[in-house]
Formats: sequence, C-alpha cells, structure tokens
Amino acid sequence: MLSYLLFLATAEEGKKASAVTKLLSDFGIDLPLLLAQILCFSIVAILLWRFAFKPVLSTMEDRQRQIESGLRYAEETKALLAQAQQESAAIIKQAQLEGARFVEETRKTAKEFLDQQQKDATVRANELIAKALQAIELEHGKMLDQARLEVARLVVLTTQHVLAKELSDAERARYNEAATREITVI
Amino acid sequence: MQVSKQSRQFARQLFRLSLADGQISAERVNSVLIYLNQHPPRQPLAILKHYHRLVATQLAKNHASVEHAGPIADSILQTIERALTQKYQRPVTATAQPNPDLIAGLRITVGDDVYESSIPSHLAALASSV
Repeated sequence: MLSYLLFLATAEEGKKASAVTKLLSDFGIDLPLLLAQILCFSIVAILLWRFAFKPVLSTMEDRQRQIESGLRYAEETKALLAQAQQESAAIIKQAQLEGARFVEETRKTAKEFLDQQQKDATVRANELIAKALQAIELEHGKMLDQARLEVARLVVLTTQHVLAKELSDAERARYNEAATREITVI
Repeated sequence: MQVSKQSRQFARQLFRLSLADGQISAERVNSVLIYLNQHPPRQPLAILKHYHRLVATQLAKNHASVEHAGPIADSILQTIERALTQKYQRPVTATAQPNPDLIAGLRITVGDDVYESSIPSHLAALASSV
C-alpha cells in the first residue's frame, strides 16, 4: 500500500511538482516523510482510539453514567426523604393533635367524674345528716316520753304518799260513798 | 299430778250434786265428802282438788270481797250487795276487807270480775293518759 501511494504521488503529481515541490522544499516538508508520518499518526491514532481512548471514554462514560445515576438516585432519595419528612411531620402533627384531643377529653371526663363524685358525696353526706337528725329526733322523743313517764310515776307516788297522810277518815268515807255510786252504776 | 279425764268428769258430777238452786249447799258438800270417804275412788286426791277448785270458784261467784280504806258503812255494803245481785241475777254477799293501800275508795272482787274506784287506780289512769 505504501509503495502504491508513493507511486501515485510521483506519477500523477508530475505536472504540479515544480510549484508544489518548491513550496514544500521552502517549508522543509518531505512528502514521503509526511505521508509516512501521517500514516503512522493515523495508525497510532487508530490504535490509541481503539485501545486507549475508546476504553477510557467508555470507562469515563460509565463513570459519568454512574455519577449521573448516583446523582439521580441521590435526588430521588432526597425527594423521598423530603416526602417522608413531610409525611412524618404530618403524622406527628396529627398524633399531637390526637394526643391533645385525647388529653382534653380525658381531662374533661376526669372533671366530670370528679364533679359527679363530689355531688354523690354531698348527697350521701346530706342523707347521713338527715338520718342522724331523724335518729336524734327519735331519741329526743323517746327521752321525753321516758321523762314524762318518770315524772308521772313520781307525781303519782308523791300524791299517794301525801293523800295517805293527809286524808281524814271523813274524807275517806265520802270518797268511799262516791266510789260506791260510781261502781253500782256500772 | 296428771288428772285423768274420767277423774275430772267425776269431780264435775260431784260438784253438780253439791248445788241447790244453783248455789253451793253446805249439806250437800258434806254429803259428797262423806260418800268419798266411804267409797274412795281412783285418784282421790286429784278428784278432791278438782272438786275443791270448782266449789271455790262457785263460792267466789256468790261472794263479793269489798276492799276499802277508811271507814265504810253497812249501808254501802248492802247497796253493793243489791247492785251485784241485780247485775249477776244470783245472790251475792259482800264482805268488807280493809286495805290501807287503797288510800281511799273501793275495790270489789266477784269471782273473776274486779270493780275498782280508788285513788291509786285513778292516779294510774291519769299517769297512763299522760
């Protein structure tokens, strides 16, 4: 291939060889050498491209993809985290509201229970007081009855003693006549 | 002592034999006692006790015990006898028994009936009314 190229260069560029050759010689460019260099460069470029740049680029592309996927994953995770945080905040808020409501209800129930207990205790105390007053009233009545009986007994006893001593026979005789009239009427 | 039914019936028969015009006759009671002495029955003591109880009850019906405190005139006893005879439709004799506990007034006992008009009874009625 290389010889074929050289042959073509020397055969078909005969006409323009003089101007171009002069130009090339002025600039110190050796065409075969240039072509060889171009060929070598091409070969090296091809080899580098195939065995160096391509793997490196693919590796870089892979890494780039990984980085991008990592960044995407991080973004998604961040979004999920934010969403989870929002949801947890919402749940916590809801739980706080529920807890506050439950505490309020419990406090209210406890207050109602306490009020009811106080009312019941007051009612029971009033009932006890009423019963005690009734019992005291009954005892007072009993005591008065007993006192009345005792006073009556003492009055009768005293009257009997006094009459037994003070009544004269004439008065007794008159009483006996009155008793006779009373009994015979019956 | 357990008095048999026959003994009680016999004592009752003897009691009925002791009555004359519805009143206990001393002669008939004497005759009954003589008969029992001559013909002692079974359970003589029980029969005699029952007979005695029946006779005492009958005698108490015809006898008024007049308990009194202070002097009591015979006219009062006669008045009581007349009133009780009229009430019970049988002759009733009254006997006076002094009882100072009555203070004043009378208590008449005829059999199971008691009539009282005395100071203690009036005071007791007054006390119970209080």
